[in-house]
Amino acid sequence: MSARDRGDVALSMRVRRVEIGGVTALRDVSLEVRRGEIVGIAGHVGAGKTTLALTAAGLLGRAVPGRVDGEVRHPLGGSPPASFVFANPWTQLTELGGTVEEEVAVGPENQGLASHVIRARVDAALAAADAARLALRAPRTLSGGELQRVALASALALDAPLMVLDEPTAQLDPESARDLAASLRALATRGAAVLLVEQNLELLATLASRVVVLADGAPLAEGAPRALLERWPPLDPRLGATATVEAREHPAAPAARQAHDPLLEIDGLDAGYGAHEVLHQLSLRIPRGTACAWIGRNGAGKSTLARAVMGLVPARRGTIRVAGTPLDGLPVERRARHVGLVFQDPGRQLFSRTVLEEAAFGPRALGARRAHAEEAAREALAVVGLSMLERSHPGDLAPQLQRRLSIAAALASRPALLMLDEPTAGQDAEGKMWIARALGVQRARGAAAVITHDLAFARRTCERVVTIAHGRVSNDGAGALAGYLKMP
Amino acid sequence: MSGALDRWNPLTPLAAALLLVVAAYTGPQPWSAVAALAIALGVATGSGMGRRVLALVSAVAIPTVLLLLIMSATSGDASAAGAGAGAIAIGSARVSRAAVLDALGVSLRLGAAVGALGWIVAGVSPRRLTRALAERGLPAWCAYVLVASLEAVPEARRRAREVQDAQRCRGLSTGGGVPGRLRALARLAGPLAVSLVTESEERALALDARGFDPRRRRGALAPIADRRGERLARAALWLALVALLAWRIARALRGAA
Repeated sequence: MSARDRGDVALSMRVRRVEIGGVTALRDVSLEVRRGEIVGIAGHVGAGKTTLALTAAGLLGRAVPGRVDGEVRHPLGGSPPASFVFANPWTQLTELGGTVEEEVAVGPENQGLASHVIRARVDAALAAADAARLALRAPRTLSGGELQRVALASALALDAPLMVLDEPTAQLDPESARDLAASLRALATRGAAVLLVEQNLELLATLASRVVVLADGAPLAEGAPRALLERWPPLDPRLGATATVEAREHPAAPAARQAHDPLLEIDGLDAGYGAHEVLHQLSLRIPRGTACAWIGRNGAGKSTLARAVMGLVPARRGTIRVAGTPLDGLPVERRARHVGLVFQDPGRQLFSRTVLEEAAFGPRALGARRAHAEEAAREALAVVGLSMLERSHPGDLAPQLQRRLSIAAALASRPALLMLDEPTAGQDAEGKMWIARALGVQRARGAAAVITHDLAFARRTCERVVTIAHGRVSNDGAGALAGYLKMP
Repeated sequence: MSGALDRWNPLTPLAAALLLVVAAYTGPQPWSAVAALAIALGVATGSGMGRRVLALVSAVAIPTVLLLLIMSATSGDASAAGAGAGAIAIGSARVSRAAVLDALGVSLRLGAAVGALGWIVAGVSPRRLTRALAERGLPAWCAYVLVASLEAVPEARRRAREVQDAQRCRGLSTGGGVPGRLRALARLAGPLAVSLVTESEERALALDARGFDPRRRRGALAPIADRRGERLARAALWLALVALLAWRIARALRGAA
C-alpha cells in the first residue's frame, strides 16, 4: 500500500476476538475501508454483522457492553470518527430535539459548532436523506420509514469520515431505499468511507465495491459482490431482492370464492390521530384463505389502517367487519378474538419472562386454561421455528427472533385475521422462510394482511397485493405490484 | 413540546416565578401570598394555561388544607385549647380559629408557589429551558439530566400506553372495575419498568453515536433569543428577589436581637 493509500484509510480493524456477555460474537476480522469506498457486510442472522458494525464505529465497549481484543483505528480522526445508523429506527432518537430538525442538529451541536454551520449541516442532511418535508414534525409522530430517514440525516449531519449503517433499508420503501443508495453513492463520491451491513442483497450488489460475508462470527469470504452473492447459497439474492416483479408465483384463489367469502370488509373508513386524518374513505376486501400484501410509500397509511382495524386508532366514519362480525364499537381486547396484529417494532410488544409464556399470553388473556394455552403456544412456536427457545427470555433474543416470536404470539390466539407490519424487516432467507410458513398456517385458518416493503416476499407469499397511497387504496389487483414499482 | 410562554426567553418566566415564590413566603402574610397567587393565576390565564395551572394549584392546596385541618382536629390540641369562640366543628372534633388560619395560610403560600412554578411546567418547553440554561454555562451532562427528568413522566406515560396497547391487542382487558384495573396494573408494572430501563440504554447508545460528550460545551441550532428589554426586566426581577430575601433576613435578625 502506498503512503497516499494509507492516508486514505478511514477504518483499520485487526480484531482477534470480540466478546459480548462472555460469548465470542466475532473473531479474526481484518478489515480496511478507505475514503470513497463502500464496503458491504453480509451474512445470516447471528453471523456477527451488527457486532462488526458496532466495533468498527468504536461503540462497542463504550455504549454497548463488550470487550474488543485487537485494534480498531480511525486514522482520519473526527469527533466522532464514525457516524452510525441503526437497523431499528425507534431506538436511535436522542430525544434532545422536539422536532426532526432539532433531532438532526444534536450531532453538530455536540460538536460545538456555530449556529450557522449547524443550520447548513442540518438542511443539507435533511435534503440528502429526502426528509426536508419532515423538518418541523415531532419525531414520535413519524412512521418507521420516515424515522429511518431522520436517522440517516442525523448521521449525515455529523460529517464524520466514516459512516457505518446497520441494515438501514429494513423499514424503507423501495423508492426510499433507492434514495438512500443515491445518498450513499454521493457521500462516497465526496470522499467519505461507508461500511454497509445489509440484508437487501440487490442493493448491496449495486452499491458496494466489495463485500465481506460473515458466518458464525468470522469472515467466510470477501470479494466482488455479484460473484460472492451468487456463489453463496444461504444468501439467496432472489429472496432479499427488490427487483422488478413480473408475475405472482401463487395461483389466485378462485374468483367466485374471493367475491363471495370476504374475511375482512372495510367500507368508507376515515381514521387518524387527533386532527391529523390519515385514512380517507378507504374500502377494502380480503377474501378468506388468502394472504394480502399492503404496500405503499412510508407514511401512506398502511400501519394506521392495521391499527384502525385493531381499534387502536378510532374510526371516525365507515365500517369494519371480520368474518361477518362488525368490529365497530368493540374495544381492542374484544377485537383480539377476531384479529391479531404484530407491530412494526416487535421488541415493544414482548413482556413475559419466557418465550413460552409470551406465546401463551394471548390465549390466556382470552380465557384459555393454562394447559390449552401452552399447547397453542408450543404449536405456534413450532410454526416459526422457535421451539428450542421456549425457556429463553424474550429480551435475550436477537431482534429477528423477537419478530418471529411476536408472530408466534399472535398466531397462538388463532385470530381469523392476522396483520403483520413489516414482518421481514431484518430477516435473512431462513427467517423469511419461517414467516412464509406462518402465513401459510394463517391462510388456512382465515386470512392474513402483510404490510411490507419487501416486494419479492410479497410476490412469493401473497395472492393479492393492494397499494395504499395518501390514505386510500390506489390499486387493488393483479397489476398493483407492477404499478407500484412504476410509481414516481 | 412547544410552550405557551415560548415568546419569552425561558429564564424570564423562571425568574418571575421564583420571585413570586419568594414573595409568597417572605412578604407580610396573608396579603403577599394572596397577591402572589393572584398574579400567578392571572398570568397563567392571560397565557392560555389558566385551567391547567388552576388544576395544579387545586391538586396541591386543597388536600393540604384538608390534611392540616384533620391533623389539627385529631391531635386533640385544638379541642384542648378550648378553641373558644369561632371554633369549627369537624365531626365530634373542634378546630381552633388559629389552626384554621394556619392551615389556610400554609395552603395559600403553597398554592402561590405551585401556581408560579406551574408556568414553567405548563408553559415552558423543557428543551428550551435547558438550552437557555446551557447557554448560560450549565454543563451538557446537567442539561441532559434536567431534560430527561422533565420528560420522564410523559415518557413513562407514553411507554405505559404502548405496553397496554400491545397487551390489549392480545386480549388483556384493562377494564372490569377496580379488580380488573388492579390486575391490568400489575401486568403493566413489570414490562413498563423493563422497557424504561431498556429505553434509557438505547438513549445512551444513540447519544454516544452522535458524539455526545458530557464535558464539552454544545452548540445550538437556534440560540434562544434574549432581547435587551427582557434582559433588563430579568435583572430587575433578580434584584427584587435578592432585596426581598435580604429584607426578610434583616427582619429575622432584628427579631432575634
